[in-house]
Amino acid sequence: MKDVCVIGSGAGAGPIIYELSKAGFKVIVLEKGPWIKTEAFTKDEMTVTRRSAYKPNAIDEPQVTDKPSSSGFKATSSVDSKRDFQNGSCVGGSSNFMSAYFHRLKPKDFRLLSEYGPINGANVADWPISYDDMEPYYTKVEEVVGVSGKVVDHKHLEPRSTPDFPHPPLITNEIADWFIEAGKNIGYNVIPAARGIISEPRENRKACYHSNYCGSFGCSSDGKSSSRAALIPDAMDTGNLEIIPNSKAFKLETDGNGKIIKAHYYNESGVVKTIEAKTFVVACQAIESSRLLLMSKNEEFPNGLANNGGQVGKNMVFAGGGGGSGYFRYDELSPEKVEQAKNKNTFVNQCIKDFYEIEDESFDLCKESPNGKVKGGTIDFLIEHSAPMPKGIRNKFSDGSLIYGSELKETLKDYFTAQRRVRFEIFCDWHPNDDCFVTLDDEVVDKWGDPVARVRTGFHQRDIQIGNYLADRAIEVLQEMGAGSITKSINGNPPSNLIAGGCRFGNDPKTSVLDKNCKAHEVDNLYVTDGSFMPMGGSAPHTFTIYANSFRVAEHLKKAL
Amino acid sequence: MGKKNFPEVKIPDTFADIDKWSTNRRSFLRAAIVAGAASQLTWFTSCSAKLEEANEYLTAEQSTVLKSILMIIFPNDGNGPSADDLNTFGFVLWTLADGLKKQEEKDYIIEGLDWANEKAQEIYFEKYSSLEDEQKEALVKQFTELSWGKNWMSVMVTLTLESLLLDPIYGGNTDEKGWQWLEHVPGLPRPTEETRVEAFFENNKPFDL
Repeated sequence: MKDVCVIGSGAGAGPIIYELSKAGFKVIVLEKGPWIKTEAFTKDEMTVTRRSAYKPNAIDEPQVTDKPSSSGFKATSSVDSKRDFQNGSCVGGSSNFMSAYFHRLKPKDFRLLSEYGPINGANVADWPISYDDMEPYYTKVEEVVGVSGKVVDHKHLEPRSTPDFPHPPLITNEIADWFIEAGKNIGYNVIPAARGIISEPRENRKACYHSNYCGSFGCSSDGKSSSRAALIPDAMDTGNLEIIPNSKAFKLETDGNGKIIKAHYYNESGVVKTIEAKTFVVACQAIESSRLLLMSKNEEFPNGLANNGGQVGKNMVFAGGGGGSGYFRYDELSPEKVEQAKNKNTFVNQCIKDFYEIEDESFDLCKESPNGKVKGGTIDFLIEHSAPMPKGIRNKFSDGSLIYGSELKETLKDYFTAQRRVRFEIFCDWHPNDDCFVTLDDEVVDKWGDPVARVRTGFHQRDIQIGNYLADRAIEVLQEMGAGSITKSINGNPPSNLIAGGCRFGNDPKTSVLDKNCKAHEVDNLYVTDGSFMPMGGSAPHTFTIYANSFRVAEHLKKAL
Repeated sequence: MGKKNFPEVKIPDTFADIDKWSTNRRSFLRAAIVAGAASQLTWFTSCSAKLEEANEYLTAEQSTVLKSILMIIFPNDGNGPSADDLNTFGFVLWTLADGLKKQEEKDYIIEGLDWANEKAQEIYFEKYSSLEDEQKEALVKQFTELSWGKNWMSVMVTLTLESLLLDPIYGGNTDEKGWQWLEHVPGLPRPTEETRVEAFFENNKPFDL
């Protein structure tokens, strides 16, 4: 019997796998997808995005999305909509394909309810741990997984136990300086954004080689700090780790006394197999983790494993916010700036955190706040990715009409060669609410015949207000830079790759699934270590915090096992 | 003083792209063979008389319609490569052979070609292939004003963009003419015969229930 069975191998699983293998525990991993080796990753859009090779296809593994509309919620299977929340089905999970913006959460993120009070229609909660509890593990991620960047002082800088990141910042396009300069002109601090990408070689990993194809693409140098590249090789070297790819866990069986004894899974031929272990760690991305627990119902847990309190699948959160863009036309720039803009490097790695807490008497939400402050978020600045297909698709329509012929050719030529598009991304809290949750669908099944996840994606109007406030600050920067044709898009559509919640951690079993160590309240040997634990997602991409929390839980497990 | 709001900043178009790809993993071998042929398909693009005997996916009539419409979508107008220059026709054949693309999506492409012919006969009382160039262009414009026709044309424009922008290994973007015209630098590593999409699925997705 293995000491630990881990289901999933991404950011939430990697630190558990790494730490426990190195501590001498026998670990087995059930990973639904294949083990894609570094040399198989290319920058081929046909493979990566047109045929979506890293995701399960919607016919095999559908999900149902229950989206709000003007006439109420409307459920659609991804077989029809072509839209789902599946990411990175392979060893290392979606950490292989992340953009890797690594922002730590701030101390106030851990106590939003205490800091800002309750919000009508939102299930705001404090975390059962503090930033100080998490800080050592953020540091550990920076050192072990590998983070590059530069710490600069600003009013919302979180306390750090180390002065700076272990790796220097990645080389950026000179457009980064345009953002900094514009920010300075209007009084905003445009500061370096850390990335989970190494800027210099280490161990068996090469540095980032600036392929300019990053988010959505696997990394061919292992410079991106995926669980697969950064953690699993060392764990394999211990001899204590076994990974079974193409293995889909579908049920955790309990012994009638609140303890799991077996994980049931389908192997690569679809044959049902079982794994026995002393402890089980579920980390197969938030929606699928909740689904696995809900599918594991039995007499002891008639509503799903660890769900006698009725909390599994509740309070899903995504990343709130959205984005926008502006354009620099070469014929409006100086020759020197044209040269800079034409540089192929797409890294900007700059952000604004001045509005992580908003204190602005002209903002409606601040007027309503007892102390005049509301939680804000992060603004990241980017250059449009190099991949040409999204640029082509973007130019298929003009004012809603399909274009073709010479007009299409002129538009493409102009878009690719006469301008550079810069972008911003907004990250704010997705307020958990009673209309954002995961259940099992009553009708749709996957290729194994099991019920699929049905995800209701209701959002709180506050997310839109805060997102727009932040987007407008980004627009001020773009205007100061001289960008034209500025657009923004802030809405309640959940991003398909930034998913958390569903198995909230907390001190009260009536309102949470997991305790502060991410052990299920109701099950003695079940831990959930992907983004499921997060009561609030913070105002940043989740991956850094998922990594850190997984290291924190691993530390607990090393003592508990 | 309060911050400025930008309610007037417009929301960009949404790109309802009905032809998002999906996969099944069968018959990749056949797709690979067609892809190989597609890279040497000068005869496909220059001699419609041979299409009928060589093309297992389209009739000569369908091939003629396809070639014509692709040239309307991406004409030889002196501004960069045309659909013929890019071998968009060969790329579409590769798509029709691709085991990773759903059959219903392939059928949809072919149905559109037949529909173009039917519309030609309905309006002009002639086969599409017998129409004057101006009539063909007028017909295609009409497509884009009809819901069904607009969707189908959207698929054809996307296929054309793929033949312009994806790696030449799939039969389009001949001699990287699309990339050169648009001054695009491809990301590295590029796909090889060992890592191209069919091989990737063969090596990494070994099972299908």
